[in-house]
Amino acid sequence: MEPSGVSPLKDLAEKAGRDFPHLFDARERTATGLAKRRASLQPLRHSLEASIVLMGSWGRAEVTSGSDDDFMVLLHGAEGSEVLPTIDEVSGVLKHFPSEDGPFASPVFSQKLVHQIGLDGDDNKNLTRRLLFLLESIPVTGEKVFGTVRDEILDRYLDESVKPYRPPRFLLNDVVRYWRTICVDFAAKEWKGPEKWGIRNAKLRTSRKILFAGGLLPVLECSRFDVVPMRAFLEEERGRPPTDRIARAFLENDASDEGARTLGAYDEFVGWMHQSDFREELESVTRDTAKTSPAFSEAERIGKELQAGLLALLHETSSQLAKVVRDYAIF
Amino acid sequence: MGKMSAALASFALMGLATKTDHAESIVARHHPVGASTGYMRDLRGDWEAQVAAAWRVSSFAIELSALSEAELPSLAEYLRGPRNLPFRYISIHGPSKGRQMDEEKLVASLAQLVPCADGIVMHPDTMEDLRLYRPLGHKLLLENMDARKSEGRTPEELEESFSELPDAGFCFDVPHAWSIDHGMSVASNLLDKFRDRLRHVHLSSLSDDLHHVPLTEEDQRLFGPVLRRCLDVPWIFEAPLSTA
Repeated sequence: MEPSGVSPLKDLAEKAGRDFPHLFDARERTATGLAKRRASLQPLRHSLEASIVLMGSWGRAEVTSGSDDDFMVLLHGAEGSEVLPTIDEVSGVLKHFPSEDGPFASPVFSQKLVHQIGLDGDDNKNLTRRLLFLLESIPVTGEKVFGTVRDEILDRYLDESVKPYRPPRFLLNDVVRYWRTICVDFAAKEWKGPEKWGIRNAKLRTSRKILFAGGLLPVLECSRFDVVPMRAFLEEERGRPPTDRIARAFLENDASDEGARTLGAYDEFVGWMHQSDFREELESVTRDTAKTSPAFSEAERIGKELQAGLLALLHETSSQLAKVVRDYAIF
Repeated sequence: MGKMSAALASFALMGLATKTDHAESIVARHHPVGASTGYMRDLRGDWEAQVAAAWRVSSFAIELSALSEAELPSLAEYLRGPRNLPFRYISIHGPSKGRQMDEEKLVASLAQLVPCADGIVMHPDTMEDLRLYRPLGHKLLLENMDARKSEGRTPEELEESFSELPDAGFCFDVPHAWSIDHGMSVASNLLDKFRDRLRHVHLSSLSDDLHHVPLTEEDQRLFGPVLRRCLDVPWIFEAPLSTA
């Protein structure tokens, strides 16, 4: 689904009298890169129900010079024998190979995403695939298949348990569970070794938090809607990048100053991540060396500003939203 | 009640529910808040006691005030000591009175405190060569001045300082802005101009001779519209909380 064409981030920029130059530049890079990749991937032979989906900064519309072409080959339906294009074929075009033990090293079958939510079948990989698909992905080929799978996942979450003027708890719990999983996985990776601690920590404070907030806010704001308009609202939001969803929430809650500072901080981070020496320094940082790294110090400062703004939005800008957070964010 | 009336009634209730409850104290609802040790005159010289007193106000934010140059060495020693402070936000108020120290030495002293603080607040009217302060980077915060001062009071006057210190942040002293313009237009204009630099807020009422006194209810209401634009930063009380 394409976004409606209206950009809340642009609206916020105008209201606050400032620009978000790095975020807007990244959106342009993303659009240009997507067009090129569509042209190069479409000639590959596709199974009828296949879609090649780009993830990560592509899904957030935040491509920088350091962005990888993280992709998923998505199949609508149950696990089957032949899947086209193969992971190797797509990798050959994109020049990017998914990590061997990562969630996208093999094709992703939608039946598992939809039918296995919770319980033993919903392992870390399945949860990761489903939430990244929902929150941070964009189709390069097979847009119709992509849309069908997204609809089926939403149908699953918005089941008979959904109540009017209440956040849909099933979806809320899974979004929150994914955020907590990312945080716990960070600690688990550190336990295995100090490598890449700095870049992982920096991303947890920034882009991972934006991913979570961009998923959480629309779900909480479902408290404004009856059941049918709630579905329409979520469908509209899912077509926007996370920074647009967050900008809209700040604007709706009359907090453009706080929104400008929050997304201004994130804009700064995206700008830094576009610089290779900044990324390289972060990649070399460990917990022991963090205090002496200028790059990490910047990421830490930016992360604090970003979090402070999001927390103010959730708890103080609107008594309605604060009460919804109180009632739904913990239990 | 018919379906249409019920729908309209529910929309009306939603409208009421979405408006911020103005009767509820904006200060009481805000987090984080903290105390400035600058008002703890009786405890001056005893950082342990000042921190303990500030901790009783809030364990989340604090401003450690070294308002005279003579207090800087003891503050640095205190912060280097073997202790864990609970505060998630620590600002240090640099010297603003009786300035005598060579400015380069002063900046060097402040630079030693940078790793211990989220911000170092300075009064622009006490800073002579602004370029010397550039190494403090994002940690340096310039505070807007009150009506007793001759500079640093308005957006135009502060812009001169920020143009020399592009990385510096803004410490928004709300009562100082009120002393320039009781209608709070200067306060709004300061926020319009420096909203992206905002790092924390100073909050209190002012006495007739413009000293910080406990925040009154009347001033809390008057300051409400600008405070409403600062919900994402710590608010530091520059006077004890009112017990009235």
